[in-house]
Amino acid sequence: MNPEVNTLDESSRRAPLLLLTAAVLWLAVSGVLGLLSSLQLHDPAFLSCCSILTHGRVEALAETSFLYGWLANAGLAFALWILTRLGGEPLRAQNWAFFGTVFWNLGVAVALVGVATGDRTGFDLLELPRYAQPILLFAYAAIAVPGILAWGGRKRPMAYASQWYAVAALFLFPWFFSVAQAMLFWVPVRGVMQAVVAGWYAQAAWTLWIAPLALAVSYYIVPKITGRTVRAYEFALLGFWSLLFLGAWTGGRHLIGGPVPAWIPAVGVVTTGLLIFHYLVVFINLRDAFSFPGAALRFVAFGLLAYLVSAVGDFLTAFNSIALITHFTYFEAAQRQLAFYGAASMMLFGGLYYGLPKISGRAWASCALVKAHLILSGAGIVLLVVSLAGAGVVQGGSLLDPAISFDAIGRLTRPWLLAASGAQALLLLGNLLMLLNFLRTACCCREKAEALLSSLSSVEAPAS
Amino acid sequence: MKNGALMILGLFATVALSWVGIVLGSNAQLGALPPYYDDTASASVPNWFPGAANQGERVYRDLGCAACHTQQVRRPDYGSDQARGWGDRQSVARDYIYQAFPQLGTARIGPDLTNLAGRKPSAPDSDDLLSLLYEGRGGMPSYRFLFEKRRVTGEVSDRALHLIGSLKPAPGWEVVPSRRAQELVAYLLNLNTTTYDLPEARPVPAAGSKEAGTEKAPAAAVKKPAATPPAPAAKPEGAK
Repeated sequence: MNPEVNTLDESSRRAPLLLLTAAVLWLAVSGVLGLLSSLQLHDPAFLSCCSILTHGRVEALAETSFLYGWLANAGLAFALWILTRLGGEPLRAQNWAFFGTVFWNLGVAVALVGVATGDRTGFDLLELPRYAQPILLFAYAAIAVPGILAWGGRKRPMAYASQWYAVAALFLFPWFFSVAQAMLFWVPVRGVMQAVVAGWYAQAAWTLWIAPLALAVSYYIVPKITGRTVRAYEFALLGFWSLLFLGAWTGGRHLIGGPVPAWIPAVGVVTTGLLIFHYLVVFINLRDAFSFPGAALRFVAFGLLAYLVSAVGDFLTAFNSIALITHFTYFEAAQRQLAFYGAASMMLFGGLYYGLPKISGRAWASCALVKAHLILSGAGIVLLVVSLAGAGVVQGGSLLDPAISFDAIGRLTRPWLLAASGAQALLLLGNLLMLLNFLRTACCCREKAEALLSSLSSVEAPAS
Repeated sequence: MKNGALMILGLFATVALSWVGIVLGSNAQLGALPPYYDDTASASVPNWFPGAANQGERVYRDLGCAACHTQQVRRPDYGSDQARGWGDRQSVARDYIYQAFPQLGTARIGPDLTNLAGRKPSAPDSDDLLSLLYEGRGGMPSYRFLFEKRRVTGEVSDRALHLIGSLKPAPGWEVVPSRRAQELVAYLLNLNTTTYDLPEARPVPAAGSKEAGTEKAPAAAVKKPAATPPAPAAKPEGAK
């Protein structure tokens, strides 16, 4: 690890460091909840005694802490950091980001308590209780403002691809988040329109927020680590706009066969197909990630691969004939995990391993733990996605045969779900090791760290 | 990309266009969907939920029942929904216009619950559902926190569950459902779209192709001849 700290990092580290600390803590929380939720799928009686841990709530808690706790915090930390570094000026209005972070995480905690005690909203990726949403909205704005300022006040008129993605995520989330709040909670739309709005929000949260945050990290660190410019960079702009313009339209495919006008899933299918272009561009741009060594790059390479596979999965399952089997099954959970965990989280882990030494000014405390995290995460995600997909195919095939009862389907899927729980346990273990490493790195005494820094600083990584 | 204002405008357009297209577009189509007035029956459908069922919808939502159960029957030629006895016609947007929080659901780990009270050959009644919630069965966890186990004072409550086997409470004790449990069951029993028919829910009669109209379509169309609309007041927009 080569900490290569510059003065920009030093002056602008407060908010990103707090965001990252919150992120890794929430990741551990969501890991525990995800494991509980997974165990309840094959052992329904597990913890069913108390209302706060009934399966529907645990699932919502795991999803909320993962998305708004881990992905959002980590993604925002890197967005601010990248915009500062590429902007060439210290982060302005940093206190806004700092206190925004405090309130964002308070908001997430309030939301989790609310979900556990019965204020779950029932909307995919938007389980946040109504009273937690304004806190999150304003806190987000406070975090995003310094990022937008860093982009607006950048020294070079040119902006890089990672800046586009970071600015897009910072700028867009408040719009669709507030619109979804207004249409679902303040002035609720009627009937199935709620499902349409919620579907649009859930897709926007992925394609206009989390995916751009993760891609900003990848577009930044792949050229940094490999020392090569982004391949076929002239296409990056097309890839960027195709994701943003098409992304939010693709959510309708989840309503296939449902009580909505048929054009909504149809538009989803068409745009999902068109979106393949974006994934191709990302692959061409960042393919160097696959041919260079290094733990951070391995994480990003895994993330990219998962991103591409998830694109193919989304495309295929959008079709009527395939959705007939996969819709309403664990297969959709597998796709969700592949995108949110396999793609976005792994890219963010890559950012963490590359960025934390620079943001905190300290080298990672243990390289062995980094390697262990890489192996556990990689194995855990592959096992999780394969087992959930397998369970989904078994479940989907059985659902088509009316002679097979739900009890029988439960027995058929049980081995797969046991494997999925094993995978959740692996992921949790990996994340706890990462948390340990993170805390040791961020909290170890300064003198020792600086001694380590000076011994390591002989090797300088080439900058792009 | 050098022009900041243009970039921000473009970003804004990405959200705005998808919102106008998907959300406003479908809202224009479905947002003001009226109930269907059935001339022959002199009644408009769907029906409003009674108060307890409305409360029950909140219980259903906050316990996250939708994590395992859907509430949308798909058209007879798509999936096994009809064969599993969940309903002879597909659910359409109009079925949900009076629901405060439609729980369409995303997973079928358990059965669809749309027409629970219209199941054939025998539909569960409220006692069955309460016992199921208390006991849990197969892949379904028990929801014992929705019930109260208490000492019998005076007479046994008429709401007490009739439990058998190991779950049977000790003499002098009874298990009674809480208000939330009763509301939840009232809600589940009111999720019934089998009592009426909607014109747009009928399978499209062979739009060019013969197969679509001949095999399965009549099953749904013939079922409720009473609802044949001479001039449907509502446009069949939600039809697939």
